[in-house]
Amino acid sequence: MHALKSVAGAAGLGMIGFYLGLGFVAVLRAMLGYPDAWGGEINIVGGYVLGVIGWLMGIGMWGTWSREWFGLKTYQRQAPGWQRYFTFNTDHKVIGIQYLVTFVVVFLLAGTIALGMRLELASSGMQFISHSQYNGAMGLHGILMIAVAVASVIGGTGNYAVPLMIGADDMAFPRLNALTFWLIPPVAVALLATPFLGGIETGWTAYPPLSTTTNSSQILFDLAIITFGLTSILGGLNFLITIIFMRAPGMTWGRLPIFVWSMFVTSWLALLYTQGFAVALLMIMLDRVAGMAFFNAEAGGDPLLYQHVFWFYSHPAVYIMVIPGFGIALEVISHFSRKPLFAYRYAVGAFLGILGLSGVVWAHHMFTSGMPNYLHGPFLVATELISIPTGLVFLSALGTIWMGKLWLQTPMLFAMAVIFNFACGGVTGIFLADVPTDIHLHDTYFVVAHFHYTIVGGEIFALFAGIYYWFPKMTGRMYNETLAKLHFWWMFIGFNLTFFTMHLPGVKGMNRRVADFPESLDNLNMLVSISGWLLGLSFLVFIYNMINAWIRGPVAESNPWRARTLEWQVSSPPPHENFPEQPVIKGHPYDYGVPGSVHGVFPNAIASAPAAGTAGGGQ
Amino acid sequence: MRTAAAAEWGATARSFSLAGQGAQVLHVRHLITAGLLWVVLTAVGELLVIADLYPTVGSHEAQDFDDIFRFLLLLGVPVMTFVFAVLIYAGLQFRIRTAVPAEDGPAMRGHGWFPRAWLAVTGCLAIFVMIYPGLTGLAELQQGDRGASGWGDQDAEVIIKASAFKWQWLFEYPDGTQVSVAAGKELVLPNETSIKFEINAIDVVHSLWIPAFRMKIDAIPGRTTYVTVKPNKLGDYASDQAYRVQCAELCGLDHAAMMFPIRVVEPGEFQSWLASLNQGGN
Repeated sequence: MHALKSVAGAAGLGMIGFYLGLGFVAVLRAMLGYPDAWGGEINIVGGYVLGVIGWLMGIGMWGTWSREWFGLKTYQRQAPGWQRYFTFNTDHKVIGIQYLVTFVVVFLLAGTIALGMRLELASSGMQFISHSQYNGAMGLHGILMIAVAVASVIGGTGNYAVPLMIGADDMAFPRLNALTFWLIPPVAVALLATPFLGGIETGWTAYPPLSTTTNSSQILFDLAIITFGLTSILGGLNFLITIIFMRAPGMTWGRLPIFVWSMFVTSWLALLYTQGFAVALLMIMLDRVAGMAFFNAEAGGDPLLYQHVFWFYSHPAVYIMVIPGFGIALEVISHFSRKPLFAYRYAVGAFLGILGLSGVVWAHHMFTSGMPNYLHGPFLVATELISIPTGLVFLSALGTIWMGKLWLQTPMLFAMAVIFNFACGGVTGIFLADVPTDIHLHDTYFVVAHFHYTIVGGEIFALFAGIYYWFPKMTGRMYNETLAKLHFWWMFIGFNLTFFTMHLPGVKGMNRRVADFPESLDNLNMLVSISGWLLGLSFLVFIYNMINAWIRGPVAESNPWRARTLEWQVSSPPPHENFPEQPVIKGHPYDYGVPGSVHGVFPNAIASAPAAGTAGGGQ
Repeated sequence: MRTAAAAEWGATARSFSLAGQGAQVLHVRHLITAGLLWVVLTAVGELLVIADLYPTVGSHEAQDFDDIFRFLLLLGVPVMTFVFAVLIYAGLQFRIRTAVPAEDGPAMRGHGWFPRAWLAVTGCLAIFVMIYPGLTGLAELQQGDRGASGWGDQDAEVIIKASAFKWQWLFEYPDGTQVSVAAGKELVLPNETSIKFEINAIDVVHSLWIPAFRMKIDAIPGRTTYVTVKPNKLGDYASDQAYRVQCAELCGLDHAAMMFPIRVVEPGEFQSWLASLNQGGN
């Protein structure tokens, strides 16, 4: 009842705000003498802004936060049990689960769209959908999956695990944290509404002049992504402050779990670069609604300007996606190999190296864009250099499993698959970084295969490693290991069949973002489509396992993985303030096999606490 | 550095409840077996280098592309199979068979020479690939013309103006003859002749791509880009779909259908074709 009241009330306020905004702009336009007071895209902008504000106030920001601005007393709505996930809750554990569930749902939705696309692409010619529908589906698949890749690991596992792993009782700015999550539903609504305004025609990259002249769905896309960028920036800021100032006593930078390091680096990337995408889309919006001409060549603008601004964010974005993936993979690999993380300092150095280089490689997406010739060399060099820090991640992963005691539970299988897949994604990246090969391969299915290997293979596999790894901690219940392994092997085989094969039509001459292709590529595409469906169906096992385990699974122990980091030293799920008392850090989190080593201790060990005394000692 | 490495090795050895030397022998045996797995996987993977993965080689540029692509495969496959070999070998050999782990692995922390050697090897590989075929290939493609936007030699024997619009192409030969879906219906090119396309876009960003020639550059409103190719093989779209001008930059509704057939003919035939088109009352 609470949940329904909370969400329905917020949606109602959002609708009221939306229509007020539309009307307000219409009145302004009528007063200024425009012929069509209701017809402009600027009406949608006004409606969206007031709609988002109405939604946020309704969901609980008013009571929890905004009343304070007017000198009123704040309060937090208390909803029992599962219903708290539908309120403006400031507990980072609740927010983490909100993010995870939301983005798993979005992932499945966008994946279903992909299955529809593969159905059309199974053979040449047009069978099921029109060009226009295909473009809309492709754009929606792209942008929804980008959202999943940016926010699922950071917002989900990051929010849940980081405060626990550093011994903090919450994030630095809990209300800001809740705000970043509750800005997501308007983004989802706006994106899912795009088909009703004609569908996204431009892909997720929205290159002008196409995006400045296309149908009005573009304006929803712009607004949604600017909002989404805001959540990314605020989230990044929150993580940085949390990690810098809220570490438990003794948690030095050299003892920070590698996943926390990856979140630290990622947060810098999100904070520094996200405005690139927002600014690029703001300029598109100004071109559309305010008659500006940033990208209109006839009026003195330049279409290439957009591509530079856009990729200035969107290349670092792939590291925003994949570095937390590396973080989870290395974290899991160390615990499940029962060995210290090999070359820990080099792994941290790798993340920092990627952080440093990520800002100077963007134009490798533009080698065939017609940018001046003198730009290609420097970007080729910087791009090849970034493979050096990336190689150190492999050093750390492979060094850790070598001679380890590998406990091949599902999280470990997914973590090893991250390394496996990224090896392929990394090597195919060389072909795209070298200009002579990129000229042919750019904008073909080779690129599509490459980035699915890096993002799905590198990050989404890590997301699943993280979901299985922290599932017992989050829910207090254990999933079914047999079904989880079935899901892993099914997904792993389906993924590799689909995307390894997909390189071939690319080299053979199939460009991306097309609903139709030459008949000579029929066999390869049929194979990709069948494998894609195989991959898609694997998630049914996952959904069943998760729902079933969450409702009926056996009760989980506080530390089912015998891991040493702090989150496993408290009950599953942890108490509201995370730790019964402030933990103190005495040693490295990964000192497996070191006699007498400890990571965290609770100095005044409370008798009832699940991990009294030393926590996570070496065995 | 040497002592750190020795200490590490010792830690590895001590962690086995065997005599130090026995453990070391075991470790060496693991290294050799995993190395053999690497060799086998690499041998299989390198088959990709000799496989025919490519569309028809229709130009000298296409031959260069295929050579460079094969060279990168030759280098890239061992890197990939190294990772695969370690993962597969470790997964099979080092896994525990008890329900929960009973003991920890050796505390190898990765100090000492090994990470440095790794850094040196991966660094050298990256810089090697950056220089050859990266920068050397780039220099050849750009012909030292640093201010222009395009590939290949600026001085070509035939210059064709290409205009891209939603969702087709218009080509104009030096004598003013135009071909498009309305007139001519195919782009005829002379073999073994350097041909420069000067490319423009009327409305939105498009991209001119010819799979048989492995060349691509975007068509941008307000700029002229170019690409020079030299066909080396007769062919036509009807018998080989790699002979087509394909738009490779998403340009809206009919992007997928924005394609124009190409036919490469002998230079003599090219001249007579051009003449016949003019006589046809163009």
